[in-house]
Amino acid sequence: MVDLATRTAPVPAEPAEFPGVSIALGVPLARWSLRARDAKALAKAVGHKVPTKIGGTEGGMACLGPDEWLLRLPEGATISMGEGLPLSVVDISERAITLVLEGPRAIDVLQSGAPRDLSKFAVGEARRTIYETVEMVLIREGEERWAVDVWRSFAPYLREALVTAASHLR
Amino acid sequence: MSAHRIANGGRVDRAATVNFTFDGKAYRGHVGDSLASALLANGVVLMGRSFKYHRPRGLLGAGAEEPNALVSVDRGAGRFTPNLRATAVELYEGLNARSQNRWPSLQTDFGAINDRLGMFFPAGFYNKTFMWPRSFWEKLYEPAIRGMAGLGDAPADADPDVYDATYAHCDVLIVGAGPAGIDAALAASASKKKVFLLDEQDELGGGALADPLLWPWLAESLKDLAKLPNVTLLPRTTAFGYYHDNFIGAVERLTEHLPDPGHSAREKLWRIRAGEVVLAQGAIERPLVFEGNDVPGVMLASAARTYLHRFGVAVGSNVALMAVHDSGWRDVFALARAGVGVAAIIDLRETVDRALMDEARELGLRVILGSAVFGVSGRHAVKGIAVARADGALQQKIACDALLMAGGWTPSVHLWSHSLGKLDWSEEWGAYLPGTPNENVRCVGACGGKWGFGKGLNIGALPTPRDPAKIKAFVDFQNDVTAKDIALAVREGMKSVEHIKRYTTNGMATDQGKTSNLNALQLASSALDRPVQAIGLTTFRPPYTPQTFGALAGHAKDALFQPTRKSPIDPWADAHGAVFELVAQWRRARYFPKTGEDMHAAVARECLAVRENVGIFDASTLGKIEVVGPDAAEFLNRMYTNPWKQLEPGRCRYGLLLREDGFITDDGVSARMAPDRFHLTTTTGGAARVLNMMEDYLQTEWPDLNVWLTSTTEQWAVIALQGPKARDVIAPLVEGIDLSSEAFPHMAVREGSICGMPTRLFRVSFTGELGFEINVPAAYGKHVWEQVWAAGQAHGITPYGTEAMHVLRAEKGFIIVGQDTDGTVTPYDAGLDWAVGKKKPDFVGKRSLARPDIVASGRKQLVGLFTDDLGEVLVEGAQIVADPNQPVPMTMIGHVTSSYWSATLGRSIAMALVQGGFDLLGQKLYVPMAGATIGVTVVRPMFYDPEGSRLNG
Amino acid sequence: MILIHCPYCEQTLPELEFAYAGEAHIARPADPSALSDEEWEKYLFIRANPRGRHNERWRHVHGCGRFFNAVRDTATDNFELTYKAGEPRK
Ligand SMILES: [Zn+2]
Repeated sequence: MVDLATRTAPVPAEPAEFPGVSIALGVPLARWSLRARDAKALAKAVGHKVPTKIGGTEGGMACLGPDEWLLRLPEGATISMGEGLPLSVVDISERAITLVLEGPRAIDVLQSGAPRDLSKFAVGEARRTIYETVEMVLIREGEERWAVDVWRSFAPYLREALVTAASHLR
Repeated sequence: MSAHRIANGGRVDRAATVNFTFDGKAYRGHVGDSLASALLANGVVLMGRSFKYHRPRGLLGAGAEEPNALVSVDRGAGRFTPNLRATAVELYEGLNARSQNRWPSLQTDFGAINDRLGMFFPAGFYNKTFMWPRSFWEKLYEPAIRGMAGLGDAPADADPDVYDATYAHCDVLIVGAGPAGIDAALAASASKKKVFLLDEQDELGGGALADPLLWPWLAESLKDLAKLPNVTLLPRTTAFGYYHDNFIGAVERLTEHLPDPGHSAREKLWRIRAGEVVLAQGAIERPLVFEGNDVPGVMLASAARTYLHRFGVAVGSNVALMAVHDSGWRDVFALARAGVGVAAIIDLRETVDRALMDEARELGLRVILGSAVFGVSGRHAVKGIAVARADGALQQKIACDALLMAGGWTPSVHLWSHSLGKLDWSEEWGAYLPGTPNENVRCVGACGGKWGFGKGLNIGALPTPRDPAKIKAFVDFQNDVTAKDIALAVREGMKSVEHIKRYTTNGMATDQGKTSNLNALQLASSALDRPVQAIGLTTFRPPYTPQTFGALAGHAKDALFQPTRKSPIDPWADAHGAVFELVAQWRRARYFPKTGEDMHAAVARECLAVRENVGIFDASTLGKIEVVGPDAAEFLNRMYTNPWKQLEPGRCRYGLLLREDGFITDDGVSARMAPDRFHLTTTTGGAARVLNMMEDYLQTEWPDLNVWLTSTTEQWAVIALQGPKARDVIAPLVEGIDLSSEAFPHMAVREGSICGMPTRLFRVSFTGELGFEINVPAAYGKHVWEQVWAAGQAHGITPYGTEAMHVLRAEKGFIIVGQDTDGTVTPYDAGLDWAVGKKKPDFVGKRSLARPDIVASGRKQLVGLFTDDLGEVLVEGAQIVADPNQPVPMTMIGHVTSSYWSATLGRSIAMALVQGGFDLLGQKLYVPMAGATIGVTVVRPMFYDPEGSRLNG
Repeated sequence: MILIHCPYCEQTLPELEFAYAGEAHIARPADPSALSDEEWEKYLFIRANPRGRHNERWRHVHGCGRFFNAVRDTATDNFELTYKAGEPRK
């Protein structure tokens, strides 16, 4: 474990609060990009359940593509790197940060720039998608709670865009 | 007294007075007024000047179709909006509007001389007259024409407003909240569907707003709809475009009607995806074409009824009607019943419906059948009309102060046409009606041709006893196109409506021909003696009405225009005075000037510091890809030009990536971390492109390979430490890695820790000096940088930016893909033969390296250039010739790709792509520049330490 | 903005999540060195470019990341169908 004081984040730690929605920086996470043809073999190698339907989640494991998963675990967690196996485990813990949107208007804030119909985005669903020109992984953690994993350098723009959208809510 | 507010009636709030100004003069209106109705109520009928002839113009309509009354609204610095239709400007306290296209004033406009010179301004005038000499166009014709013509002034200041935007999804989107639209909404809402009902006006109701009998129904219906949670009502919202798969663009005006817009968004862009679209946009009445039809006070009959019933305004005290359609009669009856004087009803038809005749008689109205208006007296306002029978007989003058036109109805099929729905000609309507749809869409009400306006004639122009070639009978009011312009276009050979449109500019102004297209078609049809359907119809294109750039941009302005990507170390650079540049979307430190230093001095200092001591550079933006799986080496061997299978774990290799056509597309140093794991680097700008290209091959050409790609660009912060003292700086900070030259040679990678953080430490050099690239997880990049910076103080550590990096690599002859290559450069052209695996049977691009054009002589090859004058720094992009004395245009044999002052060498250096350059070593070439020709000598592009002795410090 | 059906995600989604990737069913020759210059030229540069029905590739780049094939009418922009990479021409 490394000293937290040495970490920097690309966006402010203070949440932005609006009537109906808050936009906050999520806690640091351990993240892995997992790739394999065989979900069962992957599950065995990394020791976590692996959902097989794109968009599905199981614990911290989200299926993003037919052979691609994103595993998000508390900071400090470790998994097997699968050396020599026909699969790929890559540590991407610091590639992204998480923005957490919470509140009844969170869906409206996200929909301001996401072309996908978010009313059809189920609780427990996770997908890679886009907000205006910025790619993100969107996870609906609850009816009114959404986690957005966005690459670090795009995070200030995305946060600013979401805050702007929230400021316009009527 | 002509136009005026009547005693009772209308939907305006007579208890609420609103003060406003028009052309600087103060007026009063009521809450609920449009600028147009309020001006009329004040007796103002002159509202604008026309585009070409600067003719005085008043209101033609009451809605979105208005072509004449264009005004500018000034809401303070940066908030100046030209070309607003007075009919669509809601009145608010303090509204400051002014007329356009006139100088010095609306009443006295010098440009009106164009009207007297009208014979010199026929259709195609601009095309024909301002042709030669060409130089006259730029200097004389265009500025003069632009000064005189044009619609309104472009705003000069930055827009201080902010705009909102969203995507939205619904089951049923209804455009237009008239009776048909409201009925559709009520029907759809019953089924629990998510319904959007939008309308461009401030008040929902459309045509019902001008029909008091419908007001109780309207109030009840809107109350019902407002209660439904599945219905969203969007007044002040214009659907401006209909795109593929039921995607509709709409703009909601949020603050335009407020005295104080405050800080909220001015407009909101709605990007709506609808399951079904219902178009209920109604129909627009057609004007009639006759001399004087543009005099202020000549307007659509339906507009007069709207002003009366909705706004409580009579357009005149003594109005006449010129009709070829039943609907105008009913409008005049409404005016008569409200106490407005009616001078006469003139109808071109010899007989009209019995019921209309009876009602006219009951109201005591004078009716003149089989006749037409052929002239209007009054220049700034109607004073009277000249009427004659169709054959010119029985000419008479009738005094009146307004003339209403009833030319029939044109369904508003604009959005239907955007959606590529078919249009069918309807003889009954004299217009095109929606036919076969191309999307899940239907038209209801008048825009679908399902509305009873009555019967009428389809005609181009009214008959006139005068010579049609000598009169101005307007077809397109906004672009000043007359009936004779259409006739002229046909005489000059235009047969298609698309050609007629462009030749005459009919339908090309901001109103997009909403009132003129059908009349122009009828006129062209007569002139060509072909049925209307045979002439075609011009294509309607978005936007339906003009929209602001701000609304279309939505959130995407200023900081949100596009992402500015910053590395984790960017805050340090910012705090240490870096001057930044954008590389792709990345903001990178270009140089770190000390007080008083310019770029030249700072870069020279930074370069020397790297050569003499040690420099620290933020290389985090380099693209990185983790390649993992049993077939990782096999995959890279197929992608890159050089061999990868034998590379030992812990070692690095320069990789050169070609496209399949053999040209260089990227390069970078990559490391084998483990037998089945590689850490690739790419150029900063190429990261996404390279990953996409590799994914493409992997997924579609070699899906059998067990290897996967993951972008790790942003996982790692990368700190490049370059210079003879680099090892000394990091030695005390690194744990678990033997930094000695023997244990950790050039082009090797080790894993360990630095400052307590896990690191992938590369021993690589893009400067020719002893160097390391420290990869640490991004969140700790700034921390490690600061630790290295502190440790380096004893060694004279100097931060350097991209500019010094460019110079240092150029001194070593290292290329930058995209600067020294341009997509037409092969490895051989770039002198990179050594990076091509000659024994490899295949790699991406290999076959192309044997193509005839690639192996031919005379290709441009990358060489170095030394200027004769050591201090002369060539301009990048400058062209190169062999003989400076040849006549112009000279034969150019190449161009400069990179050029710098090298402080290390005390002279300028350059790289260039030159035809057959490898055979020209030592030869003299020339770079002709404005004012001087610069002599250069061709050299090898390796300017410093060609033996590479400095790599070991 | 068109809607495109991703055969992997089995969802019909806005075009903004996708990227066009050229004509479909142009396989890289197994042994390019065996091809004549004319054959290689054909592989590299010659495309059908029809007006009408076109087999083409798209990538769900901001989604599941997969390349797939589609039949689109180039005159109307209407998608007839989409299918997974590796499946025969449709
Ligand atoms: Zn997909």
